Amino acid sequence: MIDAMPVLPSPAPGLRIEGLSRRLGERTLLADLNLAVAPGECLALLGPSGCGKTTTLRLLAGLDAASAGRILLDGRDITQQSAGERRVAMVFQSYALYPHLSVADNLALGLRIRGMAPKEREGRIAAVLELLQLGELRLRRPAQLSGGQRQRVALARALLRQPRLVLLDEPMSNLDAQLREELRPELRRLLCGGDQPVVYVTHDQQEAMGMADRIAVLRDGALQQVGSARELYERPANRFVAAFLGRPAINLLPAQGQRQLGLRPEHLQPVLHGGIAARLQRREWWGNQQLLWLETAQGDLRMLVAADQSLPEQLQLGWRPEHELWFDSHSGERLAAP
Amino acid sequence: MTPSLVNTLLMLPALLLLAIVFAWPLLDSAWLSTQASSVLTGLSPIANHGANWQRLLGDTRFWQDAAVTLRFALVSVGLELLLGLAMALLLHRPGRGRGWLRALTLLPWALPTTVLALGWRWIYNDPYGPLNAILRAFGAAPYGFLTTPASTWLFTVLADVWKTTPFVALLLLAGLQSIPAELEESLVLEGASPGQILRRLTLPLLKPWISLALLFRLAQALGVFDLVQVLTRVGPAGSTESLALYAYLNAMRFLDFGYSATLVIATFLLLVVLTVLGWLLLRRRALEPSR
Repeated sequence: MIDAMPVLPSPAPGLRIEGLSRRLGERTLLADLNLAVAPGECLALLGPSGCGKTTTLRLLAGLDAASAGRILLDGRDITQQSAGERRVAMVFQSYALYPHLSVADNLALGLRIRGMAPKEREGRIAAVLELLQLGELRLRRPAQLSGGQRQRVALARALLRQPRLVLLDEPMSNLDAQLREELRPELRRLLCGGDQPVVYVTHDQQEAMGMADRIAVLRDGALQQVGSARELYERPANRFVAAFLGRPAINLLPAQGQRQLGLRPEHLQPVLHGGIAARLQRREWWGNQQLLWLETAQGDLRMLVAADQSLPEQLQLGWRPEHELWFDSHSGERLAAP
Repeated sequence: MTPSLVNTLLMLPALLLLAIVFAWPLLDSAWLSTQASSVLTGLSPIANHGANWQRLLGDTRFWQDAAVTLRFALVSVGLELLLGLAMALLLHRPGRGRGWLRALTLLPWALPTTVLALGWRWIYNDPYGPLNAILRAFGAAPYGFLTTPASTWLFTVLADVWKTTPFVALLLLAGLQSIPAELEESLVLEGASPGQILRRLTLPLLKPWISLALLFRLAQALGVFDLVQVLTRVGPAGSTESLALYAYLNAMRFLDFGYSATLVIATFLLLVVLTVLGWLLLRRRALEPSR
């Protein structure tokens, strides 16, 4: 008999992931992930394909079962709850719109399944159609929509559920680059800053940096670093994070004592004295900037300079000491400056 | 040569082949159905001014066979669709050894009908067949599966269902595999039960595949011949005499080629009308916005 409920500390709002793992036979898809996402915060899971970011998302959604660890949502352990019980909304990479239903019916189906009264249902659908400016398209089938419109419908369907957690799986990878840029602020306006945490999976570092409040970088199922875009860029935990964030990618030069020196292309500059000798090999003119490919005794380097800067064939390269990033050449861990 | 002329010339062999194996026999049969051609005419055709068709309209055996064939087709295709759907849903679930299971379920369909019909004839054998052996083991009296009109018809249907369900299952399985997994997952996140997913998502998306299976099977079942020819022939009181079997008997036993051709053409017309009707019906349904 329990005669009094134990007094619990007030539940921490938002999402907490504790020691989450998923193994499939011999393979470890995700190992011991620990993360917290505050209400209204947008966390990007960033990494190359196969790094475990989609695995994490599917575990959070309840579509796959965790091998170990816990998922806490607003203080409640939801690890054992079925996907339907979790009140989690997910936007799939393919949008997963029901092809046989109109836009309005795509939105209504979930509410019908939950047994919502028709009047409330129609009201909610009208509101979300209005919010996303989809009213004119309400009778169209998914096949009759453009990529951007489909994405908005998928977003509308996710918002309609009034979820406690929003998950997005590469929601923009099927759109062209220009549309992606245009949609980023809109996506942030609609999703972030509300009551629910948002977890956003992407392999595009620019999208992660543009969308998310914080970024978690994953590699081979293991969390590498989590922090703001700026923290990750300026103080990467290891070589992998340094190379994954920033385009063109960071230059890595061999140095003495099992070290590597990392220098970002925009931190290199021509100097009059000292530095290292370089020979200009190739030039990519980008309009706003130019990327120079240089050959040095230490290896090839990429340098980013202003578009109108003219440089001689032979030059000396320098950089400021505070821009140096040092890595252990075996483990790839970042080291303190020597 | 102009491109269109080249195209026509390139298609000519295929068209010729179709004409020889399809159009010519059909037109020849249509012509023969307007002729008296039997032992009475020395097997040479003599025009009889539609007498064959008049005979057909008054032939109660023809109408009974038409009813038998239609009932056979509708019931066996209906059962095949239900069982085939269940089978496809089971085979679609991920699991170990699924490839083997699929190959195994296709086995009945891969068997020649004649062989399976002989097999079923033995299974139904009274009193020595395996089914009666089971009945005996439970102390029951042996049962004559193929003795009364109703039971003969029923057990012929079952043999047909056994053979062709895998075909339907295979078609529907292909349909199931064309449905992206995220659609189902999205519904799962909405809290849908397996039954709701089936009704709201799987069946609507499977509709074109179901129509396809239905049309294929209906056309085949309406022309059923080999199964009944080997398993039961006309059956007690003509209970399993299909139109195709009746046409065969007229030609091969009664040597009345004129009337046989009339039956063939009548069956053909029935088949065309029914399949086109079914197709139109299903096509319109599939295009309607569902609610």
